[in-house]
Amino acid sequence: VDALAEHAIDAAVAAGAGYADARVVQRRAQHVATKNGQVDTVSDAETEGVGVRVLVDGAWGFAGDPRLSEEGVRDAALRAVSFARASASRARRRVELAPLPPASGDFAAPVERDPVDVPLEEKIALCLGAEEGMRRPEVKITEAMVRAMREHRVFRSSEGARITQRFVECGGGIDALAVSDEGRVQNRSYPSAHGGSSGQAGWEYVFGLGLDREAPRVGEEAAALLTADLCPAAVTTIVVDAEQMELQVHESVGHPTELDRVYGTEAAYAGTSFLKPGDLGSLRYGSEHMNITADPTTPLGLGTLGWDDEGAPARRQPVVEGGILTGYLASRETSALIGRELGGSMRADNWSRMPLVRMTNLHLEPGAGTLEDLLADVDDGLYLCTNKSWSIDDKRLNFQFGTQVAWEIKKGKLGRMLRDPTYTGVTPEFWGRLDAVAGPEAWELHGLTNCGKGQPGQHAHVSHGTSPARFCDVQVGVRQ
Amino acid sequence: VTRALELAERAVRAAEGDEADASVHVERSGFARFADSAVHQPTLIRDESVTLRVVRDGRVGCATTNRTDDEGLAAAAARAGEAADSSPADPGFPGLQQPAPLPETEGYDEATAALTPEEQAEAAAAAITAAPELGLYGYYTSAVTELAVASTTGHSVAQAITDASVLALAASDEASGYAEATSWRAGDLDPAAVAREAAEKAARTEGADTVPPDTYRAVLEPYAISELLFYFGFTSLNALALLEGRSYLSGRLGERLFHESFTLWDDGLDPRGYPKAFDLEGVPKQRVAIVEEGVARDVVWDRRTAKQANDGHVSTGHGLSAPAQGFGPIPFNLAMSGGDAASVDELTERVGDGIYVTRLHYLGVVDPREGIITGMTRDGTFRVQGGKVTKPLVNLRFTTSFPALAAGLLALTQEVTLVNRSDFYDERYPYGTLVPAVATDSFTIVGTGSGPGL
Repeated sequence: VDALAEHAIDAAVAAGAGYADARVVQRRAQHVATKNGQVDTVSDAETEGVGVRVLVDGAWGFAGDPRLSEEGVRDAALRAVSFARASASRARRRVELAPLPPASGDFAAPVERDPVDVPLEEKIALCLGAEEGMRRPEVKITEAMVRAMREHRVFRSSEGARITQRFVECGGGIDALAVSDEGRVQNRSYPSAHGGSSGQAGWEYVFGLGLDREAPRVGEEAAALLTADLCPAAVTTIVVDAEQMELQVHESVGHPTELDRVYGTEAAYAGTSFLKPGDLGSLRYGSEHMNITADPTTPLGLGTLGWDDEGAPARRQPVVEGGILTGYLASRETSALIGRELGGSMRADNWSRMPLVRMTNLHLEPGAGTLEDLLADVDDGLYLCTNKSWSIDDKRLNFQFGTQVAWEIKKGKLGRMLRDPTYTGVTPEFWGRLDAVAGPEAWELHGLTNCGKGQPGQHAHVSHGTSPARFCDVQVGVRQ
Repeated sequence: VTRALELAERAVRAAEGDEADASVHVERSGFARFADSAVHQPTLIRDESVTLRVVRDGRVGCATTNRTDDEGLAAAAARAGEAADSSPADPGFPGLQQPAPLPETEGYDEATAALTPEEQAEAAAAAITAAPELGLYGYYTSAVTELAVASTTGHSVAQAITDASVLALAASDEASGYAEATSWRAGDLDPAAVAREAAEKAARTEGADTVPPDTYRAVLEPYAISELLFYFGFTSLNALALLEGRSYLSGRLGERLFHESFTLWDDGLDPRGYPKAFDLEGVPKQRVAIVEEGVARDVVWDRRTAKQANDGHVSTGHGLSAPAQGFGPIPFNLAMSGGDAASVDELTERVGDGIYVTRLHYLGVVDPREGIITGMTRDGTFRVQGGKVTKPLVNLRFTTSFPALAAGLLALTQEVTLVNRSDFYDERYPYGTLVPAVATDSFTIVGTGSGPGL
């Protein structure tokens, strides 16, 4: 496929492209899910193809084709040039790319046991075993899932980049749905809601999740939520667990710091950002406890890579330091506008999509102490765990999150369980109320696979490392 | 259609098992995405994929591939067979669709299928040119999609469908307005008119005010009610959710839950929508009456949930492809009846005092069982006073009960509009909702967000 990628570049340049890159992707993905002791899904999908991106007279064009043949990649190249030329005639400005030395090299995530090669029987057995532990009379639905993915990606550019990468992911999760005789419904999940958690690693990652170990607690808590009191409306101190903090970081820091949103190119769909280019180095994003880092080199991260999908090398970069905005996630195009160093944030979800500015691994850096230390300083508050619902406005300011469960905190100790908790806020005000982050021993890395963006839509796989964090004076209990 | 059907039948022949079926998707699409009045992400996609399901001794396995030569199909068949062999018998498997006649449908337009990338770029340019005062953000897209299902039962069906959509957000730093149009006939679309609608709306949004949290009477344009309806439909009008007790309708079928003016159905055959003759496991589409004059009647079904219910239900033609059936059946063709209001202005008069909502953003289902949905308004939110739109409002956070909204309907427009609901993730599958604009006495605002504009 290396030769095919180069053939695509040659065809695009010969047709008039001033710049061209080609990505050849070959991916295989498995999904196994069980439900109430039966197999729900066993699927094994493969896809392959080439995506050719070109600049013609300063305008982009992109075409994807599944045929990994000289004819297929040439067609893709010529169609991309044709579309770019049609767009260029009406362009108001030329796209300029930040300079980037052409990279050459290989990247492969370290893997002990390739998860795709793990027999399906073993995957099914793991799911069925994990489900067992969740069973309770009140729990009407138990579900377990595992996934495995392996991808070979070749990148070539007309500037001379020659990159080959191998990505391996796997993950899993369990869910228990409890239903009362009166029709009340509650659920609990582990290690994350909405499809579990994934990492870029071998099958040892899934094994390490301990799905069967956590299953009894998940089932018990789902059942207990049926009789828990409703979380009341209040302005109070909240301690947010690492899993929900992952989404808080993702939605209220990750997306607003994507430079394509800052410059408006996502305005029609995902939205823009409350941040402006000139905010860099001066905008107070949060309290002094807030330190956010983009790090596509994090072990196990779904955003860990050698180079991104325009050949920029992975680089750890601060985004917020001591509460001050100090970094953005950038592409070559947006980097040229703002003059920032690239960190490896341009990613496409498949061969058939253009790369977009994307999070890779975005972390809230740990503070100090344990979760218990965070709780100990709270006289009256709530401990919120595991995402249930999420929504945030188009500039990433006003958000409302729901979690699966909350516990009262009274005089530093966890008290009664509460159901259907929600909390809401406005991004910089909320982060300004961050008064503690637990330490490295409480820091967890979660990987999610459903980050949507772009038109046509793309799902990014990203990871977030967080510790539990404490915020004061937060509105909770918003319902209707 | 020939290509998709040929692929499906070849895939079935490659399978080794007691039974097998294949679902095929073929896409050729162009997407001229623009921002700040320039095309910036023009994307052309060609792809074809085959999902093969193999049954061996009651065990079921699936494999998907886009390698469609004989070697690729043979490899997929082997992987599907391995998946089946690895699984215990599936007592919930309803078997494969038997041969059945398909309803006649429209949905394919030769002129739309023939659109070239240059013509797609021209359509985007027509929208951009029509809104010169503001930056224009959005897209023009069109595609031809072929769907086919073939089975060892002898069932063999195929359909080609076309779709075209234009979406326009006209915006400055302080103002924004939104409009869109969609059809399976590109000739129905007027990109310039869509852009002008967005620009005219944007011009009225500068200087936005706020309102305090409260439950308001509200006018919801088709863009807004369509999105609420789809989220409600995904979580509550799905037979799997109904059977598992997660749906708002669980235990409530037959009850009058909504205003008598609320009549809702799903009809994949309606030529005003995105017609399809069969679902992704080849079952012929049926019209399903979901709510009749406020009374909850039914939800949509696939073959698996029909078997699970064991009460005489049959699939209504709403199944997903085999690997995705864990979501249950999905109502992709929801339609609401219109009312007696001649215009949106008349809805505004009937609301009297309240708010006017053009479009919503980033919805989340807070409580599926109670139909509570949160999200933001955007790109055209206004105050209604004295029966008139009086001033623009900032984006508002709503956390509202969809059932309460539908129970509190004040009026609906006579005209219904097809609103695109696809965000074009993964494989292209055009769908939308046919909805009027509505007025309701129950739309709950819980907070305020940013102002209009970029």
